[in-house]
Amino acid sequence: MTKNDQNSRKVGGQSFYYDVRLLFPVLFLVGIGIVMVYSASSALAFKKFGTEYYFLKKQLLFALLGIVALIICSRFPYRFFRSLTYPLLILALIFLAVILITGLGYSAGGAKRWFRLGSFSFQPSEFARFALIIYLAYSMNKKKDVLKNFYVGFLPHIMILCMFTVLIIFQPDFGSVVILGVLTWVMLFVGGVRLSYLLTSLVLIIPAGYFFMVSADYRLKRITSFLDPWQHSANDGYQIVHSLMAFGTGGIWGTGIGKGYQKLFYLPEPHTDFIFSVIGEELGLWGVLIILGLYILIFWRGIFIAGNCKDSFGSFVAIGLTTAIGLQICVNMGVALGLLPTKGLTLPFLSYGGTSLLLNMASIGILMNIGTAKKVLKKSKVSKT
Amino acid sequence: MKPTEKKHIRLRVIIVGSIFSLFFTAICAKAVYLQVVRGSWLSEKAANQYEVSCRSYGKRGTIYDANLKKLAISIDVTSIAAHPPKIKNAPATAKSLSRVLKINRKSLARKLASNKKFVWIKRKVTPKEAEVVKDLNITGVDFIPEHKRFYPHKTLAAQVLGFTNIDDQGLEGIEFYYNEYLQGSASDYTILKDALGRGFDAEKSTSLNFSGNNLILTIDSVIEYITEKALEDAVKKFSAKSGMAIVMAPKTGAILALAHYPFFNPNAINNFSQKIWRNRVITDPFEPGSTMKIFAAASAIETGNCSPNSIFYCENGAYKIGKHVIHDTHEHGWLSLQKIIKYSSNIGTVKFSAITGPKSLYKTLRDFGFGAKTEIDCPGETAGILAPYKQWTKIDTGAISFGQGISVSALQLISATSAIANKGVLMKPYIVQAITDQNGQLIKSFGPRKVKRVISEKTARTLAMIMKTVITEGGTGVNAALEGYSVCGKTGTAQKIGEQGKYAQGKYVSSFIGFLPEKMPKAVILVVINEPEKQHYGSIVAAPVFKKIARKTLNYMNIRPKSKTGKLIVSLKRETRG
Repeated sequence: MTKNDQNSRKVGGQSFYYDVRLLFPVLFLVGIGIVMVYSASSALAFKKFGTEYYFLKKQLLFALLGIVALIICSRFPYRFFRSLTYPLLILALIFLAVILITGLGYSAGGAKRWFRLGSFSFQPSEFARFALIIYLAYSMNKKKDVLKNFYVGFLPHIMILCMFTVLIIFQPDFGSVVILGVLTWVMLFVGGVRLSYLLTSLVLIIPAGYFFMVSADYRLKRITSFLDPWQHSANDGYQIVHSLMAFGTGGIWGTGIGKGYQKLFYLPEPHTDFIFSVIGEELGLWGVLIILGLYILIFWRGIFIAGNCKDSFGSFVAIGLTTAIGLQICVNMGVALGLLPTKGLTLPFLSYGGTSLLLNMASIGILMNIGTAKKVLKKSKVSKT
Repeated sequence: MKPTEKKHIRLRVIIVGSIFSLFFTAICAKAVYLQVVRGSWLSEKAANQYEVSCRSYGKRGTIYDANLKKLAISIDVTSIAAHPPKIKNAPATAKSLSRVLKINRKSLARKLASNKKFVWIKRKVTPKEAEVVKDLNITGVDFIPEHKRFYPHKTLAAQVLGFTNIDDQGLEGIEFYYNEYLQGSASDYTILKDALGRGFDAEKSTSLNFSGNNLILTIDSVIEYITEKALEDAVKKFSAKSGMAIVMAPKTGAILALAHYPFFNPNAINNFSQKIWRNRVITDPFEPGSTMKIFAAASAIETGNCSPNSIFYCENGAYKIGKHVIHDTHEHGWLSLQKIIKYSSNIGTVKFSAITGPKSLYKTLRDFGFGAKTEIDCPGETAGILAPYKQWTKIDTGAISFGQGISVSALQLISATSAIANKGVLMKPYIVQAITDQNGQLIKSFGPRKVKRVISEKTARTLAMIMKTVITEGGTGVNAALEGYSVCGKTGTAQKIGEQGKYAQGKYVSSFIGFLPEKMPKAVILVVINEPEKQHYGSIVAAPVFKKIARKTLNYMNIRPKSKTGKLIVSLKRETRG
């Protein structure tokens, strides 16, 4: 751990450490994100709002708020989240129910996914993900001795997941459901739920998922257009095709920041779902690889913290948060590169979006806290001996 | 936490991390594949999407008259187009646009709903229409700068100038013949368009660099106006079907005026019958009638077979050749060749032409340019019809000598007459004297071009003298007499050939051709009135038109009449010269 200690800093004389291996990549990504959000959104912003800085200004504001959130969370002892489990869970369910039932939901692109708070919108499904991580970590930690039991260790967690699923799927936000499902599965796997239950659930979920996919026309089209985007380039394959073109145009060295064309109304949501395509076009392969490298650093730091935490609640929270970030990265990049069918998911730290940026930076704060807590624990042990 | 459990968690966390790493590897591999392996293919595909190659034509050149007055100009206008894939609501868009632009709503809606990438909505709209459509601010509607041809003098010389289509291509007249020079050069350039079809980052094409060349005509718009007005008055006065008139400078062959009636306005061609669009002076052959007699006389004198004073018996008005009987309007006995022309006796002409013989007559007519194109710089020229003399029957020689069984264009007729006025030298008629580029720099100039000497100067002088007697008391052309000038001329009255190929009753072409002043001719003028109803003799219908055009044109040209004061001026000039 000496190497890690060198990379951490003492702040204000207190025994508190910023994990630079997390902090630097995150700040770097947020910085690139601000530049790329501006590049990707300026034309769109000018057309919609008459000012090219509309999205840039908001992103800057949320980046600052995100840094504050990161600092607060990194100092907030993560163990206290245990006592917040049920309030968070209930709050998340209420948010989801409210936008589903009442007219408060702000719909964009046919799906009611946002809450309007003044001029800012808030995405409850992002919050739900966080609440679910805390709940699963708390629950598995509490039941760790009887986790192998189907009724205690498996079923209740699946029930909670189903509640979220039902509420989110009617928004409809299929992408978020998949993320929550995979997240739960990974956390249960790490927690030590019987592998047979998990594998059986996987076998059961596949036909269900298939029928669900086929049931809605637009979802089916998304799949067929994913399989052969060039055939459907005029309609359903449009997004993928233009995303692929963006990467191709970028080549190795890219067209240069601000010089891409695909963001000019060819790519839908160039500043959120398809920001990676804009990066691919403007920064080229080297930019893509640097960004992917930064994500891998963050991800493996998360895995490291989860694997080395002495406290299993901390381990579970860490793996949950890391998995959530990893899933977002994989799905968003996978969609942009045509590896996965289109899902409306943002790229952590880079994409425009207040809720996402805020919660992901808070997640990094919590991860830091889990990472340092372990050390504080260790140090206190050292001092005792 | 038990150490074994801790170990297990750690192991499973690493498994999760490893699985994710596989995904990251896949992402990395796909990025390399797309950006390196398929890079050029994809970027080409992308370029096809946002690169739109455009072709734009520069401004069409101006057509000027001889005094650099603008006869045809191009003005900047806006055209409205649409990119149908970008139109969100085709029916609603069609509704609002059709109301503003006054076009058919249904066909517009169909256009807007089509799969085409680009459709015109309305070309060359008024500035106000463009303004209103711009204010509607419809996505997918585009405004394209174009040029519109405008003829400021409306009907003036319309058949000479011709017109262009909406794509600025010349369709008739000079506009057609000189299209290559007039049209702005096409420039191909690429505009980058965003997905909404809006251009950005386009190479701005400065229209100046692509402008077409200008033409300077030999036409003088003042003489053109004089000619057109006189022609219009006569056609209306005699309820004729149509008319044409030409004024030519005999020394050069330059056409000073070329008029047709009925007029048409090239700014609104669709309001006029297609029949009147063409330049009939050049395209339409007709049987000239008695005006041909001067060329028969030319042949007779040039070959040395006759002199103006050779006398012929005119059979008192009826002369039988084979089955055919030739008539004269007035009965004549013995007439000299000079009088035969003066009184326009058909029988006399037949008689002296019989002496000349078909071979010489044919040769003379060919030399004067009949039966062949003059190669004037106008489209659709006719060669007329002049059969080779070997095919002529005995009556043909006679008929051709007084202008039947031969058809000529008005241009051929005036060129041939100009040769007489020009001391026997035939000049090539032309209508464009210079081509200049957009900066006014001369590119090409067309001067007078001699075709050949047709008759000797002496014969020419003799013919002029004979033609002068036509205008004197007792001659058919007395109505063309202009005080103070010595006028040479010849009338023509030709029965038209009807649908059955026979001469139609009561349908005539009345004509008059002449030049003045006799000694130093400045203008040759031909007037042809088609199917006048009230009168039909060339002497009554066409000769006064000649007179009117001649008087005003000479006045405009500052050629003073030779009255007593005129003589004084001439003598004064001589003194100063001396």
